[in-house]
Amino acid sequence: MASTYEAAVTSGPVIEAKGLGVKFAVNRRRKRSLREMFIHGSKRDPNAEGNEFWPLRDVSFDIAKGDCVGIVGKNGTGKSTLLKMIAGVLLPDEGKVSVHGKVAPLLELRAGFNDNLTGRENVYLVGSLHGMSEKEIDERFDDIVDFAEVKPKFIDTPVRHYSSGMKVRLGFALISQLEHPIMLVDEVLAVGDKAFKRKCYEAIDRMLANERTMVLVSHNEKDLRRFCNRGLYIKGGALALDTDIDSALAAYNEDTRVEIEERKKKDEAKKKRAEAAEKKVEAEEKPETGSEDTGGKDGGQAA
Amino acid sequence: MASRTLAVWEHRKVVGLLVRRDLKVKYQQSVLGYAWTMLEPLALTLVYYFVFGVVLQANRGMPEDAGAYGGYVLFLVAGILPWTTFGAILSEAPRAMITHSKLITTMKVPREIFPMATVGTKFIEYVLTWPVLLIFVFSLGGRFTWEGMLLWLPLAVVLTFMFGLGVTLFLSAVNVLLRDVERLTRILTRILFYGSAILFPAAMVLGSGAPGWVKTLYEINPLVGIFQMHRTVWFPGFEELTPSPLALTSAVVGSILMFVIGYWTFRRLEMSVLKEL
Repeated sequence: MASTYEAAVTSGPVIEAKGLGVKFAVNRRRKRSLREMFIHGSKRDPNAEGNEFWPLRDVSFDIAKGDCVGIVGKNGTGKSTLLKMIAGVLLPDEGKVSVHGKVAPLLELRAGFNDNLTGRENVYLVGSLHGMSEKEIDERFDDIVDFAEVKPKFIDTPVRHYSSGMKVRLGFALISQLEHPIMLVDEVLAVGDKAFKRKCYEAIDRMLANERTMVLVSHNEKDLRRFCNRGLYIKGGALALDTDIDSALAAYNEDTRVEIEERKKKDEAKKKRAEAAEKKVEAEEKPETGSEDTGGKDGGQAA
Repeated sequence: MASRTLAVWEHRKVVGLLVRRDLKVKYQQSVLGYAWTMLEPLALTLVYYFVFGVVLQANRGMPEDAGAYGGYVLFLVAGILPWTTFGAILSEAPRAMITHSKLITTMKVPREIFPMATVGTKFIEYVLTWPVLLIFVFSLGGRFTWEGMLLWLPLAVVLTFMFGLGVTLFLSAVNVLLRDVERLTRILTRILFYGSAILFPAAMVLGSGAPGWVKTLYEINPLVGIFQMHRTVWFPGFEELTPSPLALTSAVVGSILMFVIGYWTFRRLEMSVLKEL
């Protein structure tokens, strides 16, 4: 829990993660696990290991004020999970993350809009949910709509009629108006057309110039290189590298290249094996009629 | 614990916003809009009025001289209206977290806020049933007493919503991990409707030939006491319609206990719930 008291005192890092780890149960039998939770609480039975999975473990880093940190890594290595823990919407099983200062909501597609409300109502609702006063929203409403490029006649139609691009644009426009000192961005920059992207870039540049701290998850190297002065490379649920963004990306690309090569080799080996098997089958021809038989049987059973 | 309570207090505005949004969404696409909050209970009570009051001429288990103060019909209406609210809480409780998953996974607020908003919405809807209740009170000759207004009414309302919030905290968290809860709750609501003496005075069960332990068990259900109180508001002084000491105690203790259990469970399961949403 970040308290305002700490924020006033601190001059050190804005985000501190120490030995962060989160655990998911794989293929869990819910009944047993529910009982366990009641009995052991957060410290679960150490014997029950085996079918649990740590998307992230033992991740430690500090982020200083004004930093823009890019998180890179393959899909499913826990980048978004990490972001969620910084945002405080997921609680770590191990370690601790302390954030000094207010964190803007996790910037994500749709921004928590309610489909049944109009664009205007949603802007007011989500804006005030995130701590803006009505007066502030009044003042900025035109800017938001203008930034989002939502035509005035659509702002009073329910959001469910919006295109996905419109929703994202409106969400981004709203959140870019928040004055929280820490921004977390999860892969939103990928959406939106070129013109909108450019505007987003400008908005982010403005925010960064404003001494704000930002953590960015993205697969877009250009975006990352453009904004970030630091890179965290996450590999297999652990922090592999904590350097400048270029080295992080280089390491990531290098690993990807190696992996692709390995896969190619594997594929080739598979192909060869398949070809060999085919030749064998052609030579013998008998197993094929066998497989047809079973197919017929199955059909009969189904009928 | 204290800091958590403080955090919830700091976010009370969010609860208000969610309540307002829920009401807005609910009545958005209907022509009559907010009028439905009153039309629905009115229609419901009219149905009960015709079935039990006009057709069946029911006066079951009511004391003789209660007839002058609204009789069985007022008794019925005064019980049915809070029950519809309570039943609505029960039916929405399991989904209180799931429906807000989008906000829960992007916004850092104390998670208790979402069940609180669900119960808050129902509270507003309960307040809006009061005009309907008052129509019946005036037309049937119900009386206002200090005892009813200052003792039984606040007690009944506080206990109903404390119990409701406890149940919502409990069910909303458990249902994320165990979706069966939703269906189970539906059946349970039905049982509780008859088990909490909504359609008849609790005295009917207590005065029947059932064995003593059954009666005790019956009175231990906190809802029996709570819903008796809702009616005692209009019938104070009638021995049969006032909760017995046992019912009163179990209502108060039961509500507090439900709230504590609900909150404890909610906090206990919070981590797993966040992972599953």
